[in-house]
Amino acid sequence: MDVLVNLTVNGLATGMLIFLLAAGLTLIFGLMDVLNFAHGGLFAWGAFSGVWVYSATGSFMVGIIAAIGTGLILGLALERFIIQPVYGNHVQQILITLGVMLVLSEMIKVVFGPNQISARTPSYLSGSWEFGDIIIIKYRLFIIIIGTLVFGAIFYTLRNTKIGLIVRAGVINKEMVQALGINIKRVFMLVFMAGAAMAALGGMLLGPYSGVIYAEMGLEFGILAFIVVVIGGMGSITGSVLAAILVGLSGSFMAYFVPDLALAVNMLLMTIVLIFRPQGLFGVKG
Amino acid sequence: MTVPNTVYIIIFLMLLALPFVTDSRTLLIMFTQIFLFAIFAMSYDILLGYTGIVSFGHAMFFGIGAYSTGIILKQYDSTIPMLLMAVLVGAVIAGIVSYVVGMLSLRLKSHFYAMLTLAFSGLFLVLAEKWRTLTYGNDGFTFSIPDPLRDRLNLYLLSLILMVIIFLLLKRFTHSPLGRVLQAIRENEDRTESLGYNVLHYKVIASVVAGVFASFAGSLYVLTLRFVNTSVFAVDVTLDALLMTIIGGVGTLIGAIIGAGLIEFAHHWLSDLAKVHWIFERWIIFFGILYIVVVMFFPQGIVGTIRLWWSRRKGTQIRVRKEKNISS
Repeated sequence: MDVLVNLTVNGLATGMLIFLLAAGLTLIFGLMDVLNFAHGGLFAWGAFSGVWVYSATGSFMVGIIAAIGTGLILGLALERFIIQPVYGNHVQQILITLGVMLVLSEMIKVVFGPNQISARTPSYLSGSWEFGDIIIIKYRLFIIIIGTLVFGAIFYTLRNTKIGLIVRAGVINKEMVQALGINIKRVFMLVFMAGAAMAALGGMLLGPYSGVIYAEMGLEFGILAFIVVVIGGMGSITGSVLAAILVGLSGSFMAYFVPDLALAVNMLLMTIVLIFRPQGLFGVKG
Repeated sequence: MTVPNTVYIIIFLMLLALPFVTDSRTLLIMFTQIFLFAIFAMSYDILLGYTGIVSFGHAMFFGIGAYSTGIILKQYDSTIPMLLMAVLVGAVIAGIVSYVVGMLSLRLKSHFYAMLTLAFSGLFLVLAEKWRTLTYGNDGFTFSIPDPLRDRLNLYLLSLILMVIIFLLLKRFTHSPLGRVLQAIRENEDRTESLGYNVLHYKVIASVVAGVFASFAGSLYVLTLRFVNTSVFAVDVTLDALLMTIIGGVGTLIGAIIGAGLIEFAHHWLSDLAKVHWIFERWIIFFGILYIVVVMFFPQGIVGTIRLWWSRRKGTQIRVRKEKNISS
């Protein structure tokens, strides 16, 4: 029983981290029809800048703000200079964002050094609560709460606000939204920046969770996020949160019960989903 | 612009004579690397340049060739027949894997395919790391190669000749009716479909051809190193092929060869510059930026841009590959 609860908490925490990364990816894809292969790079940059500021100032919260700020700035620059010229051309988008990914992860090595950096949990989030045999690690619970809050915020924004209405309409018909006098380019930019900020936040939160951060983690988690987006169905936020949790849980349970299969479990999940439902669990587009 | 065949023959003869006029071992090794990466880049160009498929998992086939050759030469005798068998085994496995991956994912849109191949090659990387009894994990293993190939000169000549043969084979392939269908798919998939061609069928053929030749390149690669480890499955290997094809010029086999030469040459040169300033150790940044610039401003690559420039100068119209929206 206690093992099951611990595994579930672990899986949920990992799932929420992946969700932060996948949410931006799927929003950007759904609205702008852009597959951003550089998304993992934003994740890694968030981790490095956030952890760097955190260890420099000693305040975890300032670190989080720095990470989000880095995400916003990088997102703005990326959208403006890299993505805008290649709207509508998928092959070019894939090629160019992959190049950006390459540059982003190498730049991390130039700015922060080539070695991995360790990150500690802040004192008020370290330690755990014990309920009988069940041990709940505070930081994992913290990640789950943040992830849930972010999901709630996105869900609320998309459902109940004007900007959400515009974004949802833009997903269905960009030209129509533009014709109604709304500057869809501005909306694209804001969504891209929000996606980048979420990725950066995810990276920052990963730091104390895994203990170390390294430049290659961008690609590693980027692939994981793609898998989640494919399983959940491209462009669906609900799909990505469920798929992220599914991937997180199956990863943590497999690692405990069938360790040999653990590394392949995501691939297997994705392959099965693609064979039976190529559009993903919650996807609408075929 | 068509370069007269005599120019190609002269360049080939010069390359053939090169080892007899210079004693530089580094130069010899570098050119051998260029030839085998040219094979790899040409195989990638069949996908990207001729069919319009973006694959991020081409390293998977390179690695399959590399590991098949390494493992068989290590476990059995290192004789020429054994080597031939190893290369054949690699090609067969690469063919089967590319067929299965293609059937699974080529019916999806371009970006799904790119992602899936990235994930599949990641799976092979994990496999090579975990199956330690066979692959020795991350450390890799050394093995001996057949005697005649121990000589760097022979290996150089073998790579050169293989590159030329494969170039001619692939040129034949791309100019065949089948190759024309592939180019039609690149230009407009929907229209090709509506003309009655089974697009998936042709895409899978392109993917199998590319996979098999990539596996040859992988076999040659480990022959030059006499060592194999998991780095042959790394994303960097795919990126190399991508860079070479894009910079040289997509959709032209000669572009892939020029790209391979440029990248390998620049790699050596920039690595040497690392002694001058540490920033050159991070030479990937320069390549990355150059690559982004090429994708943005010269989508035709070197060969394509020169062709365009040449045709403008002569005042003749040339059909420019239109950038197109793969899915709608």
